[in-house]
Amino acid sequence: MVSLLDAELRKLLGLRTAWIGLLVGFLAAPALVFVSAGSTRRAIAEGLYTDSSDLGFQTLGIGVLGAMILGVVTVSSEYTPTGEDAPGARQLTTTLAAMPRRARLLTAKGAALTLVVAVQGLVTTVATLALTRLVHGSLVPSPAPGRLAGAVLYWVLIGLLAYALTLIFRNGIVTLTVLVVNTSVVSVSYLLTKVTSAAVYLPDIVGAHMFLNEVGDHDVAPVTAGLVMSAWVAALLALAGWLFGRRDA
Amino acid sequence: MITIDGVTRVRGRTRVLHEVSFTARPGRVTGFLGPNGAGKTTTLRVLLGLDRPQGGTALIDGRRYADHDRPLTVAGALLDGSGAHRSRSARSHLRWVAASNGLPRSRVGEVLDLVGLGAEAGKRAGRFSLGMSRRLGLATALLGDPPVLILDEPVNGLDPAGIRWMRTFLRDSAAAGRTVLLSSHLMGELAETVDDVVIIDHGRVVAAGELAEVVGGHATLEDAFLAKTGSEGVSW
Repeated sequence: MVSLLDAELRKLLGLRTAWIGLLVGFLAAPALVFVSAGSTRRAIAEGLYTDSSDLGFQTLGIGVLGAMILGVVTVSSEYTPTGEDAPGARQLTTTLAAMPRRARLLTAKGAALTLVVAVQGLVTTVATLALTRLVHGSLVPSPAPGRLAGAVLYWVLIGLLAYALTLIFRNGIVTLTVLVVNTSVVSVSYLLTKVTSAAVYLPDIVGAHMFLNEVGDHDVAPVTAGLVMSAWVAALLALAGWLFGRRDA
Repeated sequence: MITIDGVTRVRGRTRVLHEVSFTARPGRVTGFLGPNGAGKTTTLRVLLGLDRPQGGTALIDGRRYADHDRPLTVAGALLDGSGAHRSRSARSHLRWVAASNGLPRSRVGEVLDLVGLGAEAGKRAGRFSLGMSRRLGLATALLGDPPVLILDEPVNGLDPAGIRWMRTFLRDSAAAGRTVLLSSHLMGELAETVDDVVIIDHGRVVAAGELAEVVGGHATLEDAFLAKTGSEGVSW
């Protein structure tokens, strides 16, 4: 299992697109702290923030894109055609020749992704919160360790969600489009919460309750949020694993 | 030793393999011949556990490919293309493959030199020519120094020098005691290389045996092939 994990880490970190994911994850949220500093300061002065402890954590949302990209490319790179001269040829063939036990392969791949995304999530969360304190000083209370852990867990679960969805769709573009549009342009999940309160328990919405005090109009306890999002991700991973085991490569 | 026994495969409503059975023995090159679409690649994919058969067994040294620990040390396979992600260098591709089976890193340089890609190790796989891609695929198959080689159309895309090199390589591999199974639709290339022949047509094995046996009363392997597959008189 160690050699499989070693191979999957090398594969992931040897991809250019993975480095885009890494850089986006590392840089986007800290950069946003600076970019939005002025407007945030005004918002605080006007009393728009009822809970200023959310400040740094809210900025993290954009960095999660990095985790999504990593989750997607670790699978989509297997399905990318290797060249024009052999349209059906993909890296997946080599992967399965080297690691033919599919459940073990998916476990190793998921573990490699979790490792990379957890480090990214931890570093980015700490950096973003520290910068927020630096920029806004005593306006922002010092972050609770539990919320920090919640943010990192959210980061990892989003990465695994993207991983599971790409395994199901076998296409990175579809998965990434759905996920990115839903996080950055129009949050369909968020709009759904306006229609039915059950939508509060959709994976991306509910997970945010792990580290944000104010998400939409509903309150979900952080531990409940963590459990619900983990259950979503576990269910999707189980479905993805079942499909991957059954399908021809 | 490769043992394929009664392998049947159905894709959608089409039966692409009908109880395919044959063996490939150590120390011999076995040519798996048939027209395009006859089921050669599918049989090899079933053998490697990539496609699932609806019946029958395909074993390497008595076990399914996926049931071997460190399978790259048991069998090496060359299928379509290089098998490398186009953004990776040849070296970085081979390094992860070596890591997956606990093979020493030194093997990467060795196999690259063996297939004549030593000078191209840092080049990205996406920039490789067809011939270079095949060589990289072969290098991957050889990483674990396996006693069994499974090669799908190995001479496709090779220039004349490459074809000669491949032929010598296959003969040397068999002489060293390896089991070599290769598929091809090119009879002329094969007649000089193979010891045993299996002919497949429309998913059924129509002839199998030593080269001389299969050629029988025909003038050439090509004539025998055309007679067995009933493609005589078809204009190409």
